[in-house]
Amino acid sequence: MSEQNPQVRFQNLPATVRDRVNEAMSDAKVVFKVKVGELLVNRKETAEHAVTGAGRIGAKSGEISELTLIAELKPGGAERLRRFFKLIDGNLAGAGQVGTLHNMRFVFLDNDTKLLFATAYDGEWDPYIDDFATKIPEMMDYIFSNMEGWPGITSPEVKEYIVTRQVPAEAWYVSQPHLTVAEESRLLRQDVTLQRFLTELN
Amino acid sequence: MNVFRRLTRRPSLELDDIQATVLRARPEPYFGTHAILEITDPGGGRELLRRLAPLVPSAAHWDEPRASWLALALSYHGLEALGVPEGTLASFPANFRAGMAARAERLRDTGPNAPANWEFPFGTPHVHVAVTIFADSETAWRNEVAAYERQLHDLAGVRLLSHQDFGATGFNVFGYRDGFSQPVVEGSGAERLPGGGRPVKAGEFVLGYPSETGQALPAPGPDVLGRNGTYVVFRKYHSHVAAFNRFLHDNARTEAERELLAAKLVGRWRSGAPLALAPEADNPALGEDSRQINNFGYRDDPRGLRTPLGSHIRRMNPRDGKLEVLSDVNIRRIIRRSTSYGQPLPATDLRDDRESRGLDFIALGARAIDNVEFLQSEWVNSGNFTGLGKEKDPLISLQDKGAYFTVPGSPPRRIQNIQSFNTLLGGEYFFMPSLSAINWLSR
Repeated sequence: MSEQNPQVRFQNLPATVRDRVNEAMSDAKVVFKVKVGELLVNRKETAEHAVTGAGRIGAKSGEISELTLIAELKPGGAERLRRFFKLIDGNLAGAGQVGTLHNMRFVFLDNDTKLLFATAYDGEWDPYIDDFATKIPEMMDYIFSNMEGWPGITSPEVKEYIVTRQVPAEAWYVSQPHLTVAEESRLLRQDVTLQRFLTELN
Repeated sequence: MNVFRRLTRRPSLELDDIQATVLRARPEPYFGTHAILEITDPGGGRELLRRLAPLVPSAAHWDEPRASWLALALSYHGLEALGVPEGTLASFPANFRAGMAARAERLRDTGPNAPANWEFPFGTPHVHVAVTIFADSETAWRNEVAAYERQLHDLAGVRLLSHQDFGATGFNVFGYRDGFSQPVVEGSGAERLPGGGRPVKAGEFVLGYPSETGQALPAPGPDVLGRNGTYVVFRKYHSHVAAFNRFLHDNARTEAERELLAAKLVGRWRSGAPLALAPEADNPALGEDSRQINNFGYRDDPRGLRTPLGSHIRRMNPRDGKLEVLSDVNIRRIIRRSTSYGQPLPATDLRDDRESRGLDFIALGARAIDNVEFLQSEWVNSGNFTGLGKEKDPLISLQDKGAYFTVPGSPPRRIQNIQSFNTLLGGEYFFMPSLSAINWLSR
């Protein structure tokens, strides 16, 4: 089918799909319209990457959610954070103890007046913020107290503070939406065992 | 088993303002009733509180036996029906205001557990007041119920919606001893029992005191309303004991094997003796001993060879075990006041007799609502926190088709087709006011 002329392939799609594609992206080349249309028809592939809600705010695909925060920095806040990031060579290895963080980044915006914090994490928005408040309050407050209005990680206002500065993603893709950090660790441990077994076998 | 802890320190909490149920242990055996009332007129509701207030004892002398007592709690709709001012209503947390049914997605209450399938009156806006009577004898129970019903008898503006009796010897309908693992509330004066963990800050359980963060958790205002109060999560389950018994018969050949498999699911033998201390066979003497029954941790069992990582008690109270996800187990403790209803079904019965039996799960604490939402999504209906992927709690989760349970070992044993052994019949979030708050609300 992929050998066919894109026009023919597009005409072979269900009329409702064609209409939706034409309406949303009338100015796209037909080759791309075909790709999008065929993806919309392929429910199995789209279902596996279905985007749901991460609870209070944010998008979730499978087990993995996204969080993007843009907050105003206090005067001198960027400088203080830069000194800290330089000290650790931009390496946030200690974050591994959280056990749900796939990645995170800190980006200074608008001439060091704003901070963008973005992360991909396992699960939903609410559950573990309370644990941060009693397990790693010093780290949370050291980094985030550089932002205007940070109420402190133990404050009842902290969730509201984050929610009001979080910008939810409009589109979200995770290559393996069901692989949590804990599952990745388990698979890596299994692979080490398997590789050792294969090495010793020969 | 002696369920009463000794008072070994002078209490620093305002015990004479806190409701007795917060600190008073469930007796053994126990008898009682859960009633749910609707307030159809604010004046009638206030009169109800005025009349019931004298029946609600305080937590003072919580360590001494008492024949019977009454506990009282209000839903958000109940506070509205009482005519509580808007500013006060708005000072309650969002999940309490929304109510349990509205939080179904967060609680993973879907499919057969979804609010659409709940018993009346759960999940309806008519649930306003919850009254629970606990007693240590049938006579004391009947007397306390009669005293409460006398107050209700000629009262206009209040309607009884449900009246459910409960009672048991200290063993649930599956035949397991339950209800004996409780946190030590700092400032209550309670003795520490071996393995029970360090005292947890009072503010985790009673509003108005410092919590584990060092600060008091948010409380509704004014102070007279919030202080010394707490939240209650009530979830009524029907227990599928015959299905549990069949699962054991389908997957084990002898009675000894069945009992071991059952213990692997629970983490304890029927007597309450933990696998951690009695890995091979039940030891009823351990189950009778309040100083030994919790005297263990999981640090020496990281793979779960004795107590499976996915067993019910290890999930619900991970103690000192290493978890995959940064978690503070001290902020997830709840005071448990669960009650069993209906007759237990013996382990030999494999056919469902269609009788009504199960568990009223009752959790108390300043974070009780947050914690039950956390437990349901993280520790009950997922295995990720302990490295078990999508495996779920073997007793209280909603199992998917094709679910399994892993018994660690060499080799591990994977048992296929585990079903849900408890179905949710309904539940509610309540606020349990202090004695002075009951008085304030009745005016």
